[in-house]
Amino acid sequence: MSKVYVLGGAQTDFERNWTKEGKGMIAVLKEAVEDGLEGAGLTFDDVKELNKDNRVACFVGNFIAEKYVDQGHLGAFLTEVNPVFYGVPSARYEAACASSSVAIDAAATKIRADEYDVAIVVGWELMKTVESRVGGDYLGRAAYYEKEGKGIDLPFPKLFGKLADETLKKYPELDEKRFMDALAKISVINYSNAKRNPLAQTRKWFMSYDQASTRNTETNPLVGGRLGVSDCSQVTDGAAVVVLCSEKYIEERKIEEKPIIKGYGHRTAPMLFEKKMADNAESEYILPWTRQACLDAYKRAGLTVDDIDVFETHDCFTSSEYAAISAFGLTEPGKEYEAVENGMIAFDGSKPINPSGGLIGCGHPVGASGARMLLDLYKQVTGAAGEYQVKNARNGMMLNIGGSATTNYVFIVGKE
Amino acid sequence: MMNINIVTVIGATGTMGANISGIFASFGDAKVYCVGRDIEKVKKTIPRIVKSVKADAITKNLIPADFSMLEECVSQSDLIFESSKEDITIKTELACRVGKAMKPTAISGTGSSGLSITTIAECYPEELRSRFFGIHMFNPPYTLQLCEMTPTKYSDTELKVELENYLRDVLHRTVVEVKDSPAFLGNRIGFQFINEALQYAEKYRDNGGIDYIDALLGSFTGRTMAPLVTADFVGLDVHKAIVDNIYENTDDYAHDTFVMPSFATNLVEEGKLGRKSGVGLYQRIKYENGLSRQTVYDINTGLYRDVIPYVFPFADKMKRRIAEGDYIKAFERLVNNQSQEAQICLSFLLKYIVYSLFATEEVGYDITAADDVMATGFNWCPPLAMYQALSTVADIRELIKTRLPEICQKVDVDRLLVDVKPSKYDYRIYFKSGRKIG
Repeated sequence: MSKVYVLGGAQTDFERNWTKEGKGMIAVLKEAVEDGLEGAGLTFDDVKELNKDNRVACFVGNFIAEKYVDQGHLGAFLTEVNPVFYGVPSARYEAACASSSVAIDAAATKIRADEYDVAIVVGWELMKTVESRVGGDYLGRAAYYEKEGKGIDLPFPKLFGKLADETLKKYPELDEKRFMDALAKISVINYSNAKRNPLAQTRKWFMSYDQASTRNTETNPLVGGRLGVSDCSQVTDGAAVVVLCSEKYIEERKIEEKPIIKGYGHRTAPMLFEKKMADNAESEYILPWTRQACLDAYKRAGLTVDDIDVFETHDCFTSSEYAAISAFGLTEPGKEYEAVENGMIAFDGSKPINPSGGLIGCGHPVGASGARMLLDLYKQVTGAAGEYQVKNARNGMMLNIGGSATTNYVFIVGKE
Repeated sequence: MMNINIVTVIGATGTMGANISGIFASFGDAKVYCVGRDIEKVKKTIPRIVKSVKADAITKNLIPADFSMLEECVSQSDLIFESSKEDITIKTELACRVGKAMKPTAISGTGSSGLSITTIAECYPEELRSRFFGIHMFNPPYTLQLCEMTPTKYSDTELKVELENYLRDVLHRTVVEVKDSPAFLGNRIGFQFINEALQYAEKYRDNGGIDYIDALLGSFTGRTMAPLVTADFVGLDVHKAIVDNIYENTDDYAHDTFVMPSFATNLVEEGKLGRKSGVGLYQRIKYENGLSRQTVYDINTGLYRDVIPYVFPFADKMKRRIAEGDYIKAFERLVNNQSQEAQICLSFLLKYIVYSLFATEEVGYDITAADDVMATGFNWCPPLAMYQALSTVADIRELIKTRLPEICQKVDVDRLLVDVKPSKYDYRIYFKSGRKIG
């Protein structure tokens, strides 16, 4: 079994609206793959050479291009990006917003099994091709569409609004104001972190605690139960590429200082939100399978929460980041607000979450988010995160979820 | 970090004054006295300010005031930002009033887009002149982050650094220090390009004129809006004020390109100022059933006619390539096509690079200044990024020598190109296909 190294990669600028630029998926893939290979120290010629001996493969993560850009068979589509991909094994992986994490998992598995030496993971989504309500309906297919999505205006904000309601129900001692303030602060942390990230969607946007904690106004309307726009990540266009490789490749090329994937967790919770909530009755955790995925990753890595210096989580809504805090083990379940109030998860805190800005700040092109998180962990543990670098980050952990925390993916990346 | 808790914005009902009040009240979290001539009008402006930064939370920071309250507001303020009409008499009078009322520890600035900052500074009492700066932002400041900062010979150096830090770190501006030179840097470069495009519209009026030139310099050449659409958007009167100011007060190799062509001056005299007056270089005709038609001023006939959907083979191919992310192939088309249209287009892009480098030497302090101003003030592919883009297919030095021989006689292009370095901006973002995808 080989260790799985992360060679690096690149993400596109998540502020960009490719439809407005008059560019389609070929353009976004060309730019992302070109930059991604460069970021990983590879050339197109390297790919061609490696492919002669069947040593390289591509793993494409995308949720629902069939709707947004009328295109399927996305693994094969890389051949349109560059002829060096002719003959390179490539397929598309899908698990809603965790699509590129499945792609990473498949890629890592092939490396671990010594089947390929280089695995190129490409996560992408173009979402600005349609107006937001149409896009919201498309995204409803990440839930049980027939029962939770069809005919419902913006189904996902409603599901995560319900998660907020359920959190209050599950922890009756949790003060509602305290909880809602914690959610507002989570939003503010993500927006303010995004200001340091030159590729974040919201880097020029304004957000303050007053704005985030005052919901149901013209500029912060309620979009899902008690959640306001400030509690939501925004859809955007984007791609992230990350390249994994084997120990053999590292030795062959005399590459130094690259981190490895130390552990992963992958758990699937009941599809329907209601069943998910019924399923947590026996657990202290609101999302027990999310918690379990974290535990699995810790176990596989032989690490504990004490060893993790930086987190990237799936804050599609503030309520999902809230639940992630205890799932990571940063607080007891039900006491997540503590980590918000005492500054633990702030950029300069002891356990920063989302220095990149996360989905709320950096943006959420759904099929790209998992790969973007892994890339951010790579940047953090190699000291390449620029202005949003967390000091002395040795190990980083990410949580990428699909649907209403249905697919749960966790990876730990760190120096050997 | 400098503590700016109370700000007075003078002229808060104007577009810039209102939008900048929003920036101070949001990112700056300052209490802002919004001073206008008519307090009722100021009150009506507040919701617009709130909308400009999409945050109801700043409402409590916005305090309406009128000129009778000016001294009272100024005396409480840590920073005074004057955003009145672009008129030196008005601005100097206001400077005198502010100078008499401001705290000795306060900072004062003007948003003037091109008047002499030194002249305004001299209206302040001697002991306060060191605390006065030009602070020129672009519209809308929420999306265009450029802030051209102009200290004068009187300005306090330490204070300058503190103010720069505040503008950059608190207000999230891209701060570029420029000299007290007419129109500063961004408008000098941008309006050189736009006005020369206007001159070319006149020169090529038999080819169609305005829409012909815009079709050659559209979004596929590294900008969001074609240059003459931009002129209409800015307002031809504002355009005229800027180029006249530069023409009268500077004298460089491109001096003649700042002369506004007579057809455009006539439009200004007729009150056809562009989008704000409903008619200018273009006119959108709206019908009662909701349909509309875009027409353009025909320089030959003096009448508005339908915009011609020009198809130039070189431009069409460039757009197709850009749509697929093949930038290099797009630039190859541009450089290798010998049609009149491709030659005009390329010459404009090359002139833009040369003039940017030249103007930066005159008005700025660093070669990257031109990049910052054009990217964050105009949203155009900035000159160093343009250089990089075209370098993928040609030797720019040679290209300039063969395509711009007249300019090469007037300026030492070799010397200007010595300091060219890679841009921090990604040129790919600025070249748009203008095509509908899917």
